[in-house]
Amino acid sequence: MVGHGALDLVLMPGFPSNLEILWEDPEYRRLVKRLSAFCRLILFEPRGSGLSDGVDPRALPDPRTKLDDILAVMDAVGCGRAAFLGASDGAAQALSFAATHPERTRALVLHGGYACLLDATTDAKRLRASVEAAETSWGTGASLARLAPGRVDDRTFAEWWARLERLSASPTAAVTQARMSAAIDVRHLLPAVAAPTLLLHRTDDAHVRVEASRQIARTLKHARLVELPGRDHPVWIGDVDSVADLVEEFLTGERSVAQRDRVLAVLLVARVIGMSGGLAAAVASGHLQERMELLHEAMPRIVARHGGYGRWSGKDRIDARFNGAARAASCAVALRETAASLGLAIAQGIHVGEIDMALEPLSGEALDIADRIAASTRHAEILLSRLASELVTGSGLQFLDRGNVAVDGQREPLPVVALASERHLEPLGRNKVRPADLGILSPREREVLGLVADGLSNPHIAVQLGLSEHTVKRHVANILLKLEMPTRAAAAGLVARRAAQ
Amino acid sequence: MLARTNPVTGAAIKRAIEARDGRELASFYADHAVTRIVDRNNPPSKPREIKGRGAISTFWDDICSRTMTHRVDVTIADGEQMAFTQACTYPDGAKVFCIALLKLEGGLIVDQTVVQAWDE
Repeated sequence: MVGHGALDLVLMPGFPSNLEILWEDPEYRRLVKRLSAFCRLILFEPRGSGLSDGVDPRALPDPRTKLDDILAVMDAVGCGRAAFLGASDGAAQALSFAATHPERTRALVLHGGYACLLDATTDAKRLRASVEAAETSWGTGASLARLAPGRVDDRTFAEWWARLERLSASPTAAVTQARMSAAIDVRHLLPAVAAPTLLLHRTDDAHVRVEASRQIARTLKHARLVELPGRDHPVWIGDVDSVADLVEEFLTGERSVAQRDRVLAVLLVARVIGMSGGLAAAVASGHLQERMELLHEAMPRIVARHGGYGRWSGKDRIDARFNGAARAASCAVALRETAASLGLAIAQGIHVGEIDMALEPLSGEALDIADRIAASTRHAEILLSRLASELVTGSGLQFLDRGNVAVDGQREPLPVVALASERHLEPLGRNKVRPADLGILSPREREVLGLVADGLSNPHIAVQLGLSEHTVKRHVANILLKLEMPTRAAAAGLVARRAAQ
Repeated sequence: MLARTNPVTGAAIKRAIEARDGRELASFYADHAVTRIVDRNNPPSKPREIKGRGAISTFWDDICSRTMTHRVDVTIADGEQMAFTQACTYPDGAKVFCIALLKLEGGLIVDQTVVQAWDE
């Protein structure tokens, strides 16, 4: 359960699901955050999935048992009546609940739903084949291509999806689930559904044809269908903000105030520009594909290790955001090293500016500028806008002037600097003492320093100035501290140099 | 309509809330009433606003459909202004505490601000 809004909303995200694992996905988290801002969101995991009890494949639960499960959850949290957001097979469950328990159903929102899967799927043959293949392929992430083809190329996501599969059901349980889904047919219940219903369906849904929702909309008494662009089937993938906007408007009568969340961020764009020279160049180019794959896998992890968030926005471009410029710069160094170890060269641009956190994938003017900076070099360099470089004062990073880069839409060309490959052991913030710094000494200290430079010992200075030896010791210690000098000889040298100038 | 002719009093609000009587509660509001809710999810700069008696009525229906207990402890009335505190408990023991400030016109609520916090 999340949130404390006035109304109860039961979320049934559809198979595969595991309520613990789903939280790891930023888009799912965003959907939950948006929904729980106006309602008390009850996250429901059906029998046989994720954290819920398993299902005996020899004695599948009858429809009534499934509905009783929902009632039990509602009762446990003191929910008298609820709205339901059922996605995929969750939609059929929501319809069946609404038909059986109208007094406990406030409203329905169905996303990518169907009343009869075999009738609604885009490819019945493929569905049957996948049910048969589930025994062996379940847990490898194979269902991603069928459910969310838009995310197949994102290797990190695909790996995570495989994990979601494994933790939502065992291969046997997955086959059982797939069979149960394939057997779903609640068409006869539709006339009994009286609750106001909002149907959402992505027009190019890869798994369930949009026609399925159109049919439901035609049959139900109080239904409205909104077709959204996109082809990914799960409700929590893709443009979750549009979904949340529509659900909120439907259930509360009002769309929330724009949820724009602009924050200051450091943006890094890395572009693969080719092979790096040296030893790595000797590696046969035939392995390029393989090396690119390794790079695709490694880069988002490196970004995450440096406290950032990164995602490939194209075949050879990764975008990342950080909350600090030094983090971005040290991540850029790590990325360059990783790329070089794979025989690849990447050009990187770093800029700082406000971005809209609601936008996924990352986008905005500041990111475009970072990309423009990255595109301005054909070398494996790390370029920063001067603005970004000025934020790292004190970090020990050093920069070389690289002139200006013209940026579309900006009147003035943007001054850029390159990250110097060498780092000084001494932090740069500790500037060398300049002669003028003698001014920070008090008149008495200057007097003492003069005598130190003349080669006098502390007892001699004490006698000459009419002070105790202890006081002279204190003066000398203070002088060394103020001038950041290790020894009195060094301080004496400074005075000698000044005298020579 | 009967309820609307009755002036909103602390006792009436207490009775309706504790009896989870959504219809009675809705009848205390003027047609153009606004209820503003401030809580962790709806910060002061962006409070949730429920406008009009229809929407407020749905709001109370939703709240009252929950099997939870409500207790109104303190009600203060000062001319056209009223305030009350409300302590609620879910079946699992989780508590919600709200304080509401009401502005009345002609015996009906025209403006309400609710600040609430809950057990995490």
